[in-house]
Amino acid sequence: MQKNPYVPIPVDIAKITTEVDTKDIKTFRFTFVNKEDEENFKYLPGQFGELSILGKGESPIGIASSPTQKGYVEFTVQKAGVVTSTLHSLEEGARMGIRGPLGNSWPLDYLEGKNIVIVGGGFAFTTLRSLLNYMIHEDNRKRFGEITVVYGARNPGLLIYKDELKEWEKRDDVNTFITVDKGDEGWKGREGFVPTVCKEVAPSSKNAVTVICGPPIMIRFTLPVFFELGFSKENIYTSLEMRMKCGIGKCGRCNVGEKYVCKDGPVFSLAQLDQLTPEY
Amino acid sequence: MEKRLIAKDALAGIIKKLSEKMVVYAPVKDEDNICFRVLEKGQEPLVNYANTKNAPKNFFFPQTETMMRYMRTERGMELKSAEAEDVPEALLFGARPCDVRSFVLLDNVFDQDEYQDPYYIDKRKKTTIVSLACVTPPYSTCFCTSVGGHPMSSEGADVLLTDLGGNYLAEFLTPKGEALLSQIGDLAAADEGAAAAKEELVKKSESEIKSKVAGSEIKPWLDENFEHPFWDTIHKSCLACGTCTYLCPTCHCFDISDQVKGADGKRIRAWDSCMYWLFTIETSGHNPRTSQKQRWRQRLLHKFRYFVDNFGAIACVGCGRGVLYWPVNIDIRKDVNDISKL
Ligand SMILES: Cc1cc2nc3c(=O)[nH]c(=O)nc-3n(C[C@H](O)[C@H](O)[C@H](O)COP(=O)(O)OP(=O)(O)OC[C@H]3O[C@@H](n4cnc5c(N)ncnc54)[C@H](O)[C@@H]3O)c2cc1C
Ligand code: FES
Repeated sequence: MQKNPYVPIPVDIAKITTEVDTKDIKTFRFTFVNKEDEENFKYLPGQFGELSILGKGESPIGIASSPTQKGYVEFTVQKAGVVTSTLHSLEEGARMGIRGPLGNSWPLDYLEGKNIVIVGGGFAFTTLRSLLNYMIHEDNRKRFGEITVVYGARNPGLLIYKDELKEWEKRDDVNTFITVDKGDEGWKGREGFVPTVCKEVAPSSKNAVTVICGPPIMIRFTLPVFFELGFSKENIYTSLEMRMKCGIGKCGRCNVGEKYVCKDGPVFSLAQLDQLTPEY
Repeated sequence: MEKRLIAKDALAGIIKKLSEKMVVYAPVKDEDNICFRVLEKGQEPLVNYANTKNAPKNFFFPQTETMMRYMRTERGMELKSAEAEDVPEALLFGARPCDVRSFVLLDNVFDQDEYQDPYYIDKRKKTTIVSLACVTPPYSTCFCTSVGGHPMSSEGADVLLTDLGGNYLAEFLTPKGEALLSQIGDLAAADEGAAAAKEELVKKSESEIKSKVAGSEIKPWLDENFEHPFWDTIHKSCLACGTCTYLCPTCHCFDISDQVKGADGKRIRAWDSCMYWLFTIETSGHNPRTSQKQRWRQRLLHKFRYFVDNFGAIACVGCGRGVLYWPVNIDIRKDVNDISKL
């Protein structure tokens, strides 16, 4: 029989980065206790893991690092309920567990050779960051066409991955557009909602795919912009969230129609979602 | 396949004797109910009964079970054991063909190539199933023939017993079944006559299942009508009690939670139910299924549409427990038949 898929892989918290001014979003870098676990943990951007704290429970969290970053894996977590609050109270050096990698991934094969538009809002930029860092890695950059990034948050203090945002802005092989709904005294960048910025940037839909993650309201107002630009539902991808437990399609909790978001998702194209029951 | 005869009055004694060597799950009288229980030493199982109140699924998928144990150390909680609890070689005696078929359906969920559930698979592999064919349908509510089953089906069984009047015809169908035969010892060989008598009963028993449900006919309608006025009233009498899901042989939804007492902790799983509001609530407060209407529709669609899409079979074995024991007068047979007329 295979390895027990419910048993978490032991990891240590190697680094904690507080991402936002409100301090309720942190990025956790985990290193593997056993070398062989590290080698076996082969993932792709868009997949997730179950962060497991014995005594508290588990939470499904998207993988925020890119597989091109070796030796560790990162997750960006908002403090919400029991597990995520406990995680936020842990310090570097603490030992815990991960189950995964789980779920499908961003459709890398399909994205290859195409122009990619990444649209993110708030802290839902995690697996998009994984995708972006994967695509711009020197081994992979040639496999993808133009890359455009539109990322927004409510205010400057809520932008995550601040150092990397600067790095991406400096690159000439990525068109980066960072925006906030409302700036503060120190903010010299763009102001405006993500849908409006997308409209201004107006990326061509020719040979292009959009991947989008963010609050439901942002997605609702952004999608019409992309339809207007000529993007078909086959060429817009997003990642779904459902309450999960097992993460492997058995506990019956996370289905949308006949698909289990944990196993068949979380990534779907809008065309695929149209085929499912509208209950998510 | 070995075919033997067992004298009718000898069967209970044979099982009792086996229970001295191995764990035996069997139907017994429990106050006013007949339930599957672990036979105690010297206890005889029932051999004449309609069907049990509980489905035997809990022997492979217990209502609560420990998945792993851990303990508090200086570094925090550390895993102590992640094995399935010690699982004995066991015999499940007297399961009706509908209930046995439920295991074949559950195998689709728990024993997939991609992810194997060690807790279920371990118990399943170590258990030999002796099924008791329904020569006459136990209840008027039985509808196995409408959902892919048969009252005398051997699907999933290691041994099938058929009541021929004076004797049971015992068919030892699998290597596990044959191993059991060697444990039982001497049994008279069955002759051609016994096989012919069984064939007669196969036809007769099928014709005696009078309750007909349009189980497979409603799939196209379900595919097209996620939104339909039918769903607006169907759930109205549902209490959201979850009884249907607990009694159902094929319902497999579960919850995983942690329990800590002093320095010791365990991660357990327990049956859960899609009938509950809490089942799908997300941390943000968003809940994709806020109404009982949505949850009721989910259960029916899971059984008659989604499971068919994923595994090619209806996730209902027609045992009739839901119909018999639902605390309100919900009757899934009527609902399915009503749909077939829409
Ligand atoms: C695929 C996927 C990827 C994700 N990626 C990320 C990510 O990258 N970063 C991130 O921060 N989050 C992510 N999430 C969300 C994250 O999984 C949840 O925020 C997390 O599981 C919360 O767990 P918790 O233990 O902290 O909360 P819990 O303590 O489980 O919170 C329970 C919540 O459930 C409800 N609830 C539970 N019990 C009750 C009750 N008795 N009564 C009423 N309501 C109740 C409440 O809403 C409560 O807040 C992702 C989710 C999915 C499915
Ligand atoms: S989380 Fe259990 S089925 Fe998806």
